[in-house]
Amino acid sequence: MIMNNKPDESKLVAYCYGELDARETEMVEQYLANHPDERKRMEEWAFTLRVMNSLTDKEVIPPPIFLGDEVQQRSFWKERYFRMTMGIAASFLFLLVAARILGLSVTYSQGAMVIGFGNRQRQPVISPAQLTEERVNQLITSSIENNNGKIKASLNESRESLEQSIQKNLNTNSAKIDRYIQNTSGVSQEQVRKFVAQLQNDNLTLMKDYMQRSSTGQKEYIETLMVDFSKYLEEQRRQDLQLFQVRMTNIEENTDQFKQETSQLLTALINPGNQGNTTRRN
Amino acid sequence: MHADHLITQAREGDRVAQGKLMQVWYKRIYNFSYKFFYDHDLAMEAAQKTFISMHRNIGYLQDAGRFRSWLYTIAVNCCREELRKIKNDKSISMHALKHGKEEKSQTWEAAKERNENPEQVLRQVELTDLLQGCLMQLSEEQREVVIMKEYEGLKFREIAEALNISENTVKSRMYYGLEALKRMLERRNINKETFDYE
Repeated sequence: MIMNNKPDESKLVAYCYGELDARETEMVEQYLANHPDERKRMEEWAFTLRVMNSLTDKEVIPPPIFLGDEVQQRSFWKERYFRMTMGIAASFLFLLVAARILGLSVTYSQGAMVIGFGNRQRQPVISPAQLTEERVNQLITSSIENNNGKIKASLNESRESLEQSIQKNLNTNSAKIDRYIQNTSGVSQEQVRKFVAQLQNDNLTLMKDYMQRSSTGQKEYIETLMVDFSKYLEEQRRQDLQLFQVRMTNIEENTDQFKQETSQLLTALINPGNQGNTTRRN
Repeated sequence: MHADHLITQAREGDRVAQGKLMQVWYKRIYNFSYKFFYDHDLAMEAAQKTFISMHRNIGYLQDAGRFRSWLYTIAVNCCREELRKIKNDKSISMHALKHGKEEKSQTWEAAKERNENPEQVLRQVELTDLLQGCLMQLSEEQREVVIMKEYEGLKFREIAEALNISENTVKSRMYYGLEALKRMLERRNINKETFDYE
């Protein structure tokens, strides 16, 4: 059976150095048995390695390297832990100095933490212990009174403003109505009559003009219609004549054909022998 | 003394144990560095730095069983650091790392002093230079893995721990490293016939 599972380059190299387990080694060997070119390559590798193994080691004498004293000679301040600790301390000190210069303050009160820079203005805070029920009632009452006063003042101001606006609008509209009435009352009866007469004359002129234009249009339309009708009749007559001529020609042709066929029949009846001789000859 | 016991004592600050560990591992780390650089001075530098670092940090080693991969982690880091220095140093050319003439090579110089058969020595020198040249042509990542696996004998798992990469990545680098070495040897006409003949 030919094995198709080609081992990859890693497996081939591991096989070459005998670092595959038994099962994988067997699989690779089966593959190589069925693939002579790959086996040849393995042999070439083995030869390459044999040649490369000719490169021998050089003999060398280890030089004297003095080890060990370095640990004891290391200064205390060169120790890693000391340097790290000092680094943290220096950073902390730097932060403290910077906070002092910038006036950093961090306070925590009443569930809130406040971080600020510079001098802080303290607001007077009344402690809950100084507030009595009577004092609280007074504060509430005074606050309500204050609020009511402000609302009243606001309402009065709005009302006055509204009244002023209404009064102003009334005055303006009254002035307009008075002006219209004055204009209307100034027109006399004579002027009205003249205006109506002028209106009637204009209407009459318009009607005349309309009737004249309408009758002219109708006349032109009827003339056009008559001309078109006469053209239509002429065309119809011409077509009828052509049809008649064609039919007459057909009748004439049919008559000629009939005559010819009749004469052929008569000829055949008169001379039947000639036709029989002719048929036999054929 | 048992190796784990030695490591445990070294972790506890025993300088004698640390010195013994260095004696045991110095050759390995030096040869790892030497194959990485193909330069004695750089290899010495990297090896010494590795053991100085080992001395300083062995107290932080939690599992004595992982000492080998941990030590190679330090060695690889030291080698990479030295390589960075070389690359950053404009006055040293990268040609300094590549040795062309066998007669001038360090292997030849060392062999001359031992009065060995000159022909054999020359052949070995040529082969060493050629193979080391092939190693130097690999990328740094492949070279680290190939040296650790082929010459230092680390398991793939240990190499993965030392380089802080996955085991599959190590195997992949090894795969491509081997392919590259195979092609290089083919280009230099080194095959079974020529190699076995020599």
